[in-house]
Amino acid sequence: MGAPKKSAAAAAAARVSDDPEELARVPLQAVLLADSFTTKFRPITLERPKVLLPLVNVPMIEYTLAWLESAGVEEVFVFCCAHAKQVINYLESSQWFSQPKFSVTTIESHNSVSAGDALRFIYERNVIHGDFILISGDTVSNMSLTRVLQEHKERRKKDSNAVMTMVIKRSKLSPVTQQSRLGTDELFMAIDPDTKQLLYYEENTNHLKATLSLDKMLLIDNSSIRLHNDMQDCFIDICSPEVLSLFTDNFDYQHLRRHFVKGLLVDDIMGYKIYTHEIHSSYAARVDNYRAYDTISKDIIQRWTYPLVPDVLLLGNSTTKLERVGMYRASEIVQSRSAQIGPLTVIGTGTRIGDNTKISNSVIGKGCDIGSNVLIEGCHIWDNVTIEDGCQLRHSIVCDGVVMKSGAVLSPGVVLSFKVVIGQNFTAPAYSKVSLLPQPIKQDSDEELEYADNNSDVETSCAPDNMNGELTSELSEIQGSATSELGCGGVGYIWSICEGASEEEWRHSIAPISAEKLAELTQTTDDDLEFSNQDGNAPASSGELRSDALSDSEDDDEDTKNDSAYFEKEVEATFLRAVHENVQVDHVILEVNSLKLSCNMEFSACAGAIFYSMMKLALETPHKTTDELSRAVLNIFNSWHRLLKSYLSGKDEEIEVILKFEEMCSESAKELSPLFTQILHHLYDKELISEDAILGWEFEKQGAEESDRVFVRQAENFLQWLKEASEED
Amino acid sequence: MQFDDKSRVEKAKKRAVVNQTEVRNRVELFRHLPQYEHGTQLPDLESKFFRNDPMHRAVYKVGLQYLAGDITGGNARCIAMLQAFSEAIRDYTTPAEKTLTRDLTAKIGSYVSFLIECRPLSISMGNAIRFLKNRIAKLPLTLSESEAKTSLCLDIDRFINEKIILADRVIVRHASTKIRDGDVLLTYGSSCVVEMLLSHALELGKKFHVVIVDSRPKLEGQSLLRRLVANGLNCTYTHLNAVSYIMHEVTRVFLGASSILSNGTVYSRVGTAAVAMVANAFSVPVLICCEAYKFHERVQLDSICFNELGDPQAVAKVSGRGDVNYLGSLGNKDNLQLLNLMYDATPSEYISMIVTDYGMIPPTSVPVIVREYCRDQLWI
Repeated sequence: MGAPKKSAAAAAAARVSDDPEELARVPLQAVLLADSFTTKFRPITLERPKVLLPLVNVPMIEYTLAWLESAGVEEVFVFCCAHAKQVINYLESSQWFSQPKFSVTTIESHNSVSAGDALRFIYERNVIHGDFILISGDTVSNMSLTRVLQEHKERRKKDSNAVMTMVIKRSKLSPVTQQSRLGTDELFMAIDPDTKQLLYYEENTNHLKATLSLDKMLLIDNSSIRLHNDMQDCFIDICSPEVLSLFTDNFDYQHLRRHFVKGLLVDDIMGYKIYTHEIHSSYAARVDNYRAYDTISKDIIQRWTYPLVPDVLLLGNSTTKLERVGMYRASEIVQSRSAQIGPLTVIGTGTRIGDNTKISNSVIGKGCDIGSNVLIEGCHIWDNVTIEDGCQLRHSIVCDGVVMKSGAVLSPGVVLSFKVVIGQNFTAPAYSKVSLLPQPIKQDSDEELEYADNNSDVETSCAPDNMNGELTSELSEIQGSATSELGCGGVGYIWSICEGASEEEWRHSIAPISAEKLAELTQTTDDDLEFSNQDGNAPASSGELRSDALSDSEDDDEDTKNDSAYFEKEVEATFLRAVHENVQVDHVILEVNSLKLSCNMEFSACAGAIFYSMMKLALETPHKTTDELSRAVLNIFNSWHRLLKSYLSGKDEEIEVILKFEEMCSESAKELSPLFTQILHHLYDKELISEDAILGWEFEKQGAEESDRVFVRQAENFLQWLKEASEED
Repeated sequence: MQFDDKSRVEKAKKRAVVNQTEVRNRVELFRHLPQYEHGTQLPDLESKFFRNDPMHRAVYKVGLQYLAGDITGGNARCIAMLQAFSEAIRDYTTPAEKTLTRDLTAKIGSYVSFLIECRPLSISMGNAIRFLKNRIAKLPLTLSESEAKTSLCLDIDRFINEKIILADRVIVRHASTKIRDGDVLLTYGSSCVVEMLLSHALELGKKFHVVIVDSRPKLEGQSLLRRLVANGLNCTYTHLNAVSYIMHEVTRVFLGASSILSNGTVYSRVGTAAVAMVANAFSVPVLICCEAYKFHERVQLDSICFNELGDPQAVAKVSGRGDVNYLGSLGNKDNLQLLNLMYDATPSEYISMIVTDYGMIPPTSVPVIVREYCRDQLWI
């Protein structure tokens, strides 16, 4: 294995070339992450890494490497993590290690659980010396890199903070399901139309949410922004070396988009900028989930990815020929005359197809044995699969070595992992996933960490022979127990869909979305529209941009409620203690101030809380009639007005106190309600509350409902008097 | 009118409502056709909409819609024009000391010349105008003004109904007998009769595949494709340059026509001739769906004498992609002339059959239809 040696040599070369001129001429490098750090392709990825899964009969990593080579990349660092041995073995047996002008180096790590870890690991290796392309091993593209690299370099010359250029492509969302044809969620991006700078990046995972809150600073800082929800992130990034050090500096960055991109966009101290590059006619997409797998397969068959198409991308020595209506047939196929092979189908070498079998829109791998009267529609069948007579397969993925006994039926969305056996006449339920390995019992809720238990599987799958032995023994064991959950003679476990995910299963499955589901969704979107139309006046659902302060309070409404309740309680306790222990007013102010800071409260809240505690004290002093109560209130005002005054710095705070008082009178302390006007008058006399504030309060209440105006009416005489007094002045 | 005849062009300009500016760089071979700047007159004309001028509102509106390209397609343009005329007739009052027959004919004439300024008439519209003028001339003198107006409006409604709407239904019924299960049908551009035919055949439960061939710059096939796919039809979409590739799979070609001339020549959207010739070379039958009111006794051998020129700039632009400009600064060169022809003529030998409201006929029988059914007195 020459990998470490090579990278060491590269590192040595880097140390030699230190002056900037030399650095500018470093070969174009790329970092290829041969691990997706997600579990979307389970259970298949338990046994084989995602990048080695065949996409139209060619492992995904081939597409990525072939593209990198054709795009002029000279050095590729393949970062392997899960099933690292398998990836390295594959690359060693392929031609990639022996290309002139295109060096592939593998970097192996066993404890990286995220893209962030991977990049930190690569940074430590010190192999990247210039701008590099960051890509994952499941990307299919045929775009030319010259334009985007040139743009990136020019920007870098002008502004060294332009650290990354993201490639995006237009892709419309389905209005019904709110997802792109690649099965990804709605993506909101704000882009400066002139400079193409990315200003905002948000993936909307909640399909019913109709609002989007933007920081108002975005609009202040930029003369124009363009909001997109019709762009697809291609996950091809042109990065400057700073990106790696940024990952090292921010050790909590895990996810490339969720943490890194958003982190840079939010962080305005360092001023790093991300730019976008839109591609129009070329292709770029990433196999993110099963739906993307299906869509990209179709795109490859329909030659959108040319030259990365089955008849050009040769693997081994078999040749595939393109026939009319998008039919690809390898040589050495045994096909019955009565078999109907429909449009857009790929059939691998050595496959045998029996009588009256119908195949359409499917990919069939090498060495498969398909019986007669089989129906295959929209399926991805990998290598050496045996399908006996009369089976029906619709929109499923069938991995290597699967055996389907006669009459078995796969409903749409089924995934059969390696070497599963489906029993006779068994019908696999829709969206079910079947594997020889039992489902891990406890799954971490956090996607990133789920990888952790992948590590244990690495050992078993690293040695395929060993595992095969185990499996066969297991196999015989299961066969011994007459019927498994896969019908008579079936082998394997049906994975239960983990809770919560079942709702979303249809979104990412390879099966087309069923008509009923679509109807249901249209219904809900219609309802939503009606709903949002009904309360179109309410700012929350009208979809308009809200200030961030507002959205904050919206987001953690619960929190603030709890906070303010806690704050009030504390203030009250402080105040009572002050009353009972005769603490000086200045000290009380100091204490309340510190409370205010610790709870992050406004002055108005302090004033409200103090007023509340004063009233409460008055209520608690023994009294028989309202007169006595009134006197108690007056007493407290006399002794503590300075405390209250120090928080009544303006009209707003004063109004807050009146509102608080009103609330108390109508809810917690009904005894006070008859005294409302009187106490208001006291407050006015003590110059705690100004005339302006009282009139302001009245004004605020003007639009309120009748029930809210009880106290305004009660204080009508007083208000009248105030107005007249001011007129006299 | 021949636009290379300077004196006549000058005369026409004085009368014109629409002040079209001529294209700077005209193509010499097509000097006899009007070559105007596109899209420059619209704002000015729109602002004049509420001015009290001799043009009737409805006619003015239709004219602007022609100019803006909001109404396209032979049938749609014809129906819009007839409806505007019928509205104008309803609002018409004979001025003192004039007779209805003469004054109304003159009025309609002025409307027509306005519409021509907006966009050259199609042959179908010419036929419809001829029919209307004929009806006005044949009005019995005994009729009162209101009676005459009602009778004219009724005539217009009957023309629309019988010659266009019912005719389309008859054509669809005839043509759908020619679609068999397993057929691969090819159509070019977007013809409303062919669309109706395909939808009808689908309703009948026939199993077939549709290939839509399209061409720049209008890409009318895209909207047709969208509607057909939404209906649940199985479609293939391709551009004209791939027609010889796709023709292998095709079993029948259905095309619409702007007009059919008495020598059997089909006058239709530019590109139709190419499709028909390729189909002929592959021995695929070409069926033309066309209402009989679009037939004309004229004989035309080429598509140069009579044609319409579209916006020449549209040829160089790619819609929706402002950044793609292959011509670059070449667009302003004097020795580069852009030509955007709208129609072409398909010789009758490439056409297997014409489906009209009078039945399915070979192209050699077009003169019979013109002689027997299209004479003015027999229009209705």
